[in-house]
Amino acid sequence: MKTFLKKNLKYTFLLGVIFFISCSKDDPDAINEQEYISNVIVTLASEDGETQTVDWDLSEMNSQNINLKVNTNYNVNVSFINSSDPTDVENVTLEIIDEADEHQVFFEFAEVSVNVSSASNDTKVGSRGVLINSVWNASTTGTGLVRLYLVHQPTNFNATTREAMGGFNDVSIDIPVSIIE
Amino acid sequence: MNKVKFYSILLFKILFYNNVIYSQSCDYFLKGKILDSHDDSNLIGAIVSIQGTNFFSQTNFEGEYLINGICPGDYVLVISHPNCKTIKKNIILLENKDVNFYLEHHINELEEIVLQESKISRLRKSVQEVSLNINEVNSYGSNTLEEAINNIPGASILKTGNSISKPIIHGMYGSRVGIVTDGFRQYDQQWGPDHAPNIDFDSFETLQLIKGAAALKYGGDTSAGSIILSSKRKIPKDTLLGRSSINFESNGRGSKINSSLEKSYSNGFYINGDITGKKYGDFNTPNYILSNSGFEEASFSIDFGRNQINKGWNVKYSNYSIEPGILKASHIGNIQDLFYALNSKQPTIINDFTYTVEAPKQQAKHQKIIFKYFKLIGNNSKLELGYNYQENKRKEFDLRRGGRTDIPVVDLSLKTHILNASLSGIKYEDYNFEVGVNGFFQDNFSTPDTGVKRLIPDYYKFESGIYLLGDYKKNNSFLFEWGLRLDYVAYDSKKYYYQSDWQNRNYNVLYQDFELYEVFNQILTNPKFNYINLSAQTGISAILSNTSKVNISYILSQRAPNPSELFSDGLHHAMAAIEYGNLGIKTETSHKFLVSFSKNSKRFNLLVEPYISKIFGYIFIEPTGLKQTIRGAFPVWTYDNTDAFLTGLDLSSKFSISEKLSFDFGASYVYTQDLNDNEPIILIPPFNSYQRLKYISREENWSFEITNQIYFKQTRFPDSNFIFDFIENGNIVSKTVDISESPPGYNRLNAVFSTDLIDQKNIKSNLRIIGQNIINTNFRDYLNRMRFYASDLGRNIQIQLNFKY
Repeated sequence: MKTFLKKNLKYTFLLGVIFFISCSKDDPDAINEQEYISNVIVTLASEDGETQTVDWDLSEMNSQNINLKVNTNYNVNVSFINSSDPTDVENVTLEIIDEADEHQVFFEFAEVSVNVSSASNDTKVGSRGVLINSVWNASTTGTGLVRLYLVHQPTNFNATTREAMGGFNDVSIDIPVSIIE
Repeated sequence: MNKVKFYSILLFKILFYNNVIYSQSCDYFLKGKILDSHDDSNLIGAIVSIQGTNFFSQTNFEGEYLINGICPGDYVLVISHPNCKTIKKNIILLENKDVNFYLEHHINELEEIVLQESKISRLRKSVQEVSLNINEVNSYGSNTLEEAINNIPGASILKTGNSISKPIIHGMYGSRVGIVTDGFRQYDQQWGPDHAPNIDFDSFETLQLIKGAAALKYGGDTSAGSIILSSKRKIPKDTLLGRSSINFESNGRGSKINSSLEKSYSNGFYINGDITGKKYGDFNTPNYILSNSGFEEASFSIDFGRNQINKGWNVKYSNYSIEPGILKASHIGNIQDLFYALNSKQPTIINDFTYTVEAPKQQAKHQKIIFKYFKLIGNNSKLELGYNYQENKRKEFDLRRGGRTDIPVVDLSLKTHILNASLSGIKYEDYNFEVGVNGFFQDNFSTPDTGVKRLIPDYYKFESGIYLLGDYKKNNSFLFEWGLRLDYVAYDSKKYYYQSDWQNRNYNVLYQDFELYEVFNQILTNPKFNYINLSAQTGISAILSNTSKVNISYILSQRAPNPSELFSDGLHHAMAAIEYGNLGIKTETSHKFLVSFSKNSKRFNLLVEPYISKIFGYIFIEPTGLKQTIRGAFPVWTYDNTDAFLTGLDLSSKFSISEKLSFDFGASYVYTQDLNDNEPIILIPPFNSYQRLKYISREENWSFEITNQIYFKQTRFPDSNFIFDFIENGNIVSKTVDISESPPGYNRLNAVFSTDLIDQKNIKSNLRIIGQNIINTNFRDYLNRMRFYASDLGRNIQIQLNFKY
C-alpha cells in the first residue's frame, strides 16, 4: 500500500504546480468622481437689494439658515459645484443647463409656506422653467426647512409633489428656513 | 434500465453465473474486476477471454471474472462488453493474478430527465445528488437554470428581474454555491446577488446538484452546495451527430436557438461545436409591460480531443456574452424614491414594448479555455491533469449626467488561472483513494475610466488546495466514505478609501500597516489577508432492503470572505443602499448533517432529505444606519459575522398510477435563524411545493403534463426597515420604509404538451408547446429583488421545435 501510494503520489505532486507569486498589484489611479456634487450654493437676492449666500457643503453636511422676509420677492439662484478636486473646481450647473430636458429643480417646504415661480432669467424647456433661477415669496412668518431636489429624468415635470414627479434624486438636501416680518 | 443491459444480464444469469467454463490440468487462475473507466462502476456481463483458447469468463453482478486452471505463459486477453469497445491486453502469467480492467462504457441516449445513477459518475456516494439532463430540462421552458431548479426540491433561484437569476441551495447563494463546468470552478464575480452565472447551460449535457460542500475535489468553501455541469461523453465511433432546437415565446416576444454538431472517429478523435443565441424584448406581467427588461445572449464553444481507453486529452474554448436590461423603474435615487416606488401599485415608468435595451443594464462576457489530459496508470488508477484560464468582463451601466450614460459605472476584468491534478482509483483491498491538488491565481482589475469610485478594488488572489478522498466498500450494500481538504487563500489588494471613512471605521488604528500614501482626501491602502481553510466530509451509504436506501453524511466547510465582503464600497441603485465591506470579517465555518432516505418500488418512489446545519461566523450584510449624502438619505448595509442555524427538509416523490399516468409531488422547507441577533436570515425561500400530473402515450408518441407550483408567504424575515422624514402638505411626517415585508403566497400553473413529428433512424424531431403561468397569476416573488418595483411575469406560451440528426 505504502509503496504503491508513494509511487503514484509522486506524479501528482510533481505535476501539481502550486502558485506562490510574491509580486504585488501596481498602484491603481485614484478616481475623482465625475458626477460628484460636493456643494449646493443658494444665492438669494431680495427686491430691496440684500443678498445672502448659503453653501451646503458635503464635508460638513449642513449649511447656514436661509433668512427671508415675509411678503418679499427673492431672486433665488441654485448652483451645483464639484470641488472634490481643489485644483479643478467644476460648475456642474452648466451640465444641468445642457441637459435641461432631463432635469428639474424642485423645492418642498415644511412648516413654512413659500411660493416659488420660475424667474425671467431661468433656464426654460418650452414653457417649463427648470428653477435654476426662481422667485420666492413667503406668505407667513415661521421657521421650517426647505428640501431642495435636483430630479433626474422625472416622469412628470409639472407635478406639485416630489412623489408625483417620478424620476430619481441627483440632489436632495435640507436647509433650515426662517421667515420674519 | 436499458434493453441491452437487461438482456445481457438475463442471458448471463441463465447461462454462466460466475462459472468457469473450461479447465485443464494447469492450476493457475486469473481473476479481477471489469469496471467502467468513467465512474468505476462494475460492468456486469463483460466477457474476458484468452485469445486462441477456449478459456473465458463472464463477469457477475460485482463485475468480477475468474478463469481457473491456466498454464503459465504469455497470453492475449480479449475483454468485451455489449456497450463497450473491445480491448486487448497482453499478460504474462507466471503466478495467480488479480487484475482489474477498465472499459470505455458507451452511453445510450438518455431519455429520462433524471438520469439513472449508473450513467454518471457520482461525486460522493454518501451524499444524495440530483442529476438532470439539460436537454430534457429544456422541455419545461427556455430558461434552463430556472427550469432545472424547479425540478429540484431544496433549490431555488434568486432573481433580479427576469433575465438575471442565480441558484440558491438550502437558502444560500453566491459564494456558498459552487458552479463547476467541465471539471473547473466558474469564476465570474459570483459574489453579487445580481450577478448571474455567465454560463450557457445549454451547451452542457448534464447538471448535477449536490446539497452540501461534498464536492471536495472542486473546493471546500461552498457550504450550500455545488452545481456540476458536464459535457456530453464522446463515443469513440465514426459518427456525426447534431442537435438543434428553436423556441418562440409570447412573453418577451423572443426566441432562443441552440445547435450543436459532433463528429467522432473510432480512433477516439472528436470535434464538437455548440452555439446558442437568445433575443428577447420587454417582458410583461399580467397587467403591464416591464420596461427595459429585454436581453440578448450569445455563446459558442468548440471542443476537440482524443478519448481512448487508457488515455485521452481535450481542448475546449467557450465564449459567452449577455446584455440584460434592468427594469427602468428600479433606477432610483435615495430612500425617499424607494418609498415612493414601494407605494406605487405598478412601476413608475411603463413604456411601449421594445427590443431595445438601454441603461440601466449589464454587460458580461466570459471566455474560457480548458486543457485536459488523463492517463490510466497500472490497472486501477487514473491520473488527470488540467489547466483552465477564464476571463470575465463585467460592465454595469446606470443613468448618468453629462452624457456619461454610455460609460459604465462598474467595469471589472477578472482573470483566473486554475491548475488541477488528481490521481484517482488508488485501490487497496476494499479501500479506494483519490488525491489531488489545485492551484489558483486570480487578478481583478477595476478600470478608473468609469469616473465612479471602485465598487471592488484591484486585487490578486492566490489559492492552493490539496485533498484526499477515500471510501471503504465491503459489499454492494454498505459504503463508508471520507474526504479531507486543506486550502490556503491569500488576497493582496490595492484600495483607495476616503480618509473620512478610513478614520470613521477606526481602520487607521487597526490596519495602519496597510496604509501606503494619501491622495488629497483619499488614502491608498494595501490590504493583505491570508487564510487556511479545512474542509471535510464523511458519511455512509447503506442499502436497507430491496427497495430502500439511506445516506448519512457530515460535512465541514470553511470559507474565506469574498472580495465583496471585505472590500465592497458603493451604491446599489436598485436597492437605494450603500454597501460597505468589512476588513474585520473572519472565515466562516459550517457544519452540516445531511440524511437522505430513498424508497424505490415499481409503483412508488420517495426521497426524503432532512438536514441541519450550524454556521459559525456566518457572513451576512445588515443595515447599520442611514447615511446622509448630497443625494439624500441612504441606508448603509455593512458586512459582518454572526452565528447561524439552518435546518430543513426536502421531499420528492413519484406515484405511477398506471403505465401511462403518473403523479409527482415535491416540497421543501428551510428554517434559519441568526443566533446573535435572534432574528431570521434575509432572503430565505418560503415553503414551496409542486404537484405534477403526467400522461404519456407511448404508442402515439405524445405526452402531456401539468404542474402546479405553490409558494407560501415567507413569514420569517428580519426587520430591515427605516424611518424617514417626508414632507407632506407642508409638514414633516415620519414614515417607515418597509423593505422587509415579504409578498403574499401564490401559485403558478404550467403545462407541457410534447409530440414526435418525425421518428426515423437518422432524423428525429419533436414539437413542444409549453405554457407557463397559464392562468396569468399576478404575483411577486420574495426572492426577486425587483419585487419592490413590479410584479413577476405573466402568461408565456412557448413553441419549441427540436431536431436530432
